[in-house]
Amino acid sequence: MLARQQRLPGWAGPMAVLLVVLLPAVTQAFSGLWRTLEPERQQPWRRLDVAPSSPVFQQAARAALHYFNYRAASPSTFRTLKQVRSGTAWVNAKKGQRFDMEFTIESYKPELNEERLGTCSALVIFKNHKPKPTVNITCTRLLDEKEREQKDYVLYKQMKQLKRPPDGTRIPGNLGHMDSSLQPMWDLAMVGSSYVMWEKTSQSLYYYMMQLSGVKQWITRGDFINFNYTVLLHEFSTQEIIPCQIHLLWYPGKPLKIRYHCQDPGTQEEGSGNGEGSAENPTEILSNF
Amino acid sequence: MPIGDGGPALLWLTMRGLLGLSLLLAATSSQKVFSGDQVLRIKAKDEKQLQLLRNLDISEYLKIDFWHAPARPSLPVDMRVPFSNLKAVKNYLNSRGISYAITVEDIQVLLDEERKGMMASRRLERSTSSFRYNSYHTLEEIYTWMDNFVVEHSNLVSKLMIGQTFEKRPIFVLKFSTGNRTRPAIWIDSGIHAREWITQATGVWTAMKIATDYGEDPVLTRILNHMDIFLEIVTNPDGFAYTHSMNRLWRKNRAINSNSSCKGVDPNRNWDSGFGGVGSSNNPCSETYHGPFPHSEPEVASVANFIQKHKHFKVLISIHSYSQMLLYPYGYRKEPTPDNEELHNLARKAVEALSQVHGTEYVYGRTISTIYVANGITIDWAYEHDIKYSFSFELRDTGIYGFLLPASQIIPTAEETWPAILTIVKHAYDNPY
Repeated sequence: MLARQQRLPGWAGPMAVLLVVLLPAVTQAFSGLWRTLEPERQQPWRRLDVAPSSPVFQQAARAALHYFNYRAASPSTFRTLKQVRSGTAWVNAKKGQRFDMEFTIESYKPELNEERLGTCSALVIFKNHKPKPTVNITCTRLLDEKEREQKDYVLYKQMKQLKRPPDGTRIPGNLGHMDSSLQPMWDLAMVGSSYVMWEKTSQSLYYYMMQLSGVKQWITRGDFINFNYTVLLHEFSTQEIIPCQIHLLWYPGKPLKIRYHCQDPGTQEEGSGNGEGSAENPTEILSNF
Repeated sequence: MPIGDGGPALLWLTMRGLLGLSLLLAATSSQKVFSGDQVLRIKAKDEKQLQLLRNLDISEYLKIDFWHAPARPSLPVDMRVPFSNLKAVKNYLNSRGISYAITVEDIQVLLDEERKGMMASRRLERSTSSFRYNSYHTLEEIYTWMDNFVVEHSNLVSKLMIGQTFEKRPIFVLKFSTGNRTRPAIWIDSGIHAREWITQATGVWTAMKIATDYGEDPVLTRILNHMDIFLEIVTNPDGFAYTHSMNRLWRKNRAINSNSSCKGVDPNRNWDSGFGGVGSSNNPCSETYHGPFPHSEPEVASVANFIQKHKHFKVLISIHSYSQMLLYPYGYRKEPTPDNEELHNLARKAVEALSQVHGTEYVYGRTISTIYVANGITIDWAYEHDIKYSFSFELRDTGIYGFLLPASQIIPTAEETWPAILTIVKHAYDNPY
C-alpha cells in the first residue's frame, strides 16, 4: 500500500548516518583540493619588518640596478647604489620575496671628473631562491637623451682608440691600479657584467665585479665594439670568486648583445646564458665574430 | 662539431684519445688556478692537424681558450692552456707530431705597472721615515718596517711572537705599553683574510698613528697610561704571502686539508663560538670552510691562547674589508646580546666619528642582521669570553673596487677608521668592567 511506496530502501538509514559522519571529512577534502588549485588564496604575502638599511633591501636594489644598467647599456651613465630611502618587503613561503623600494644612486665618472645623483624606484621579485629576479625599475634621468648619446659616443670613440691590453693584464691590477686610458674598457665590462650579475642574483646570492682577469678580444667589428673578456665576480654571501667569460657587442644607443659562461664553484652547475635587447637570433652573433 | 677529412678510423682514435685525456684530467684537477697558464702557438702542417686542434676545443675539462682559432694551415693557432692541463695537452700535441712554441710562459707574471713599481721600491729600509704608507707592501716589507718601528719607539712599542703559521712563518703582535704590570688591554687585528689588503695597510698606518699621537693627543695618552694596546697587523701571514705570489684573491690560510686537494681554512669561521653552523662550510674547497675543529688553525689558536692567558682584554677589534660596516655580535645567532643597546649606541658614535673625517658612510648593527649569518667568528668568541666591546670593521669600499682598493685610498681609509677605533677604546676606558 502507501506504506510500501513511502518506505525508503533498507540501507538509506545507515547511509544517511554515514553521510552525516563523513560530511566534514568530505568537505575538508574538497577544500583541500580547492587550496591546491588556488594557492594564492591560502598563501598570503607577509610583510617583512626590516629597515631600508637592511641587507635584504640593499641586495634587491643592487639586483634592480644590474638589470637597469644592462638594459640601458650606457657606460657613461652607469648607476651605482647610494642609499635605500624607503621600501616595503613581502615574503610568501611558496612564491618568494618581493621588494618595493625607492633608492638614491650615483654615477661617478673619474675619467670625466663628474658625479651625478639620481633616484630610482623599483619592484623586485625573487622567486623562491631562484636566480634572475623580475625587475620593474624606473630611474630619474641623469642627462637628457641627447647629452647621454653624446657622452656614450665620446666613450665609444675612446674605446675605438684602445688596443687589446697585453696578455696577463689585469684590470684593475692587483694593487687596485687602473690606467685611466683603460677606464672606458672597464665601464663597458661593467655593463656586460651587470647582465650576468642580474641573471645570477637570488635571495641568497649577490655579486660584485672584482677584476677583469683577461681580455681575449677587443676589436671593432663593423661599427660594434666586440669585447670578449673574463671577469672575476665576488659572490658575496659565500665569499667565492667566480670567473665568467663574457662576450658582448656594443654600439652607443643600441641594446647590448651578450653571451656568457661562468665557472661556478663546488656543487653548483655551470651557468651560461645570452641575451640581447633586440630580437636578433643569438647564433647570428657567432657568425659575425 | 663537423668532422673533416679524418675518416671514421681517425675520428674514433681521436675521440678515444680525447676521452682518455679528459678523464685523466677530471680525476686529477679540482682546484682553480689562475696563474701558470701558458699560451701556445701552433703552426698546423695540414688540415688533418688543424682538425686535431679543433677537437681539443670539444673537451670541457681541458678548458682551452683559443685566441686564434684553427682556420687555415698557414695561419698560426694561439691557445691559452690552463696550468693544470699543460702537461696533458703538450703530450697530446707531441704524440701527434704537432709542433708548438710557448709564446707566453706564465700569464700571471706579466705587465702590471704598479707591480714593477713595487719591485723598484723593494729595498731594505733602515728606518720608517721613508716607508710609504700610501702604498701596498709585501710581508717582508711589513716585517722589516715592524723591526724599525720598534727600535724607533722602544719606550712604547715592543714586538711579540705569539705563534707560528701553518707554513711556519712567525706571527707577530705589536705591544703598545707604558707600564710593566698586566693592564686592561685592547686587541686589534687586521689581515685575518689575506685578500683584504686595505686592512693590513690600515694596521701599519694605525701603529704609526698610535706611536705619533702618544704624548700629543690627550685622549690617547690618558688611555695608554692605563691600558695596553696589542696590534696584530698580519694575522694571516701565509695567506698574505700567497696573495702576493700566486692569487691576489686568496682569502683563507694555507692549511693542507686531509682528504682534499683544496687548501685553506677560513680563519674567521674557525673560532669556538657557534662553530660549524650554517654560516660556514664543511667543504674544504669553500671560501668559508671552518676547518676540522675549533681553533684547529695555528693562526687562530695563537690569538685565542694569548688572549685567554692574558685575562684582561676589554676590547677586541677585528678589521676586515669590504662593505663599510661596523658590526658587533652575534653572527651565529638571531638573539641579540644582553649588551645590545650599549653596543648599538657605541657603534653609532664610532660611525659618526668616522664619517666626520672624509664623509664616508658606514652601516652598523649586529653581524647576523647587517651582513649575513656567520658561524665561528672572532668577535662572537671574544664576546663569549668576557670581552664586552667586540667589534668588527668592514672597511672601504662598497663594491666598486672591493678587495682591489686603489692604494690612493689607504691613508684616507686609515685616517677615518682611527677616530672610530678611538671612540670604542675611549668608551671602554670610561666604562671599566
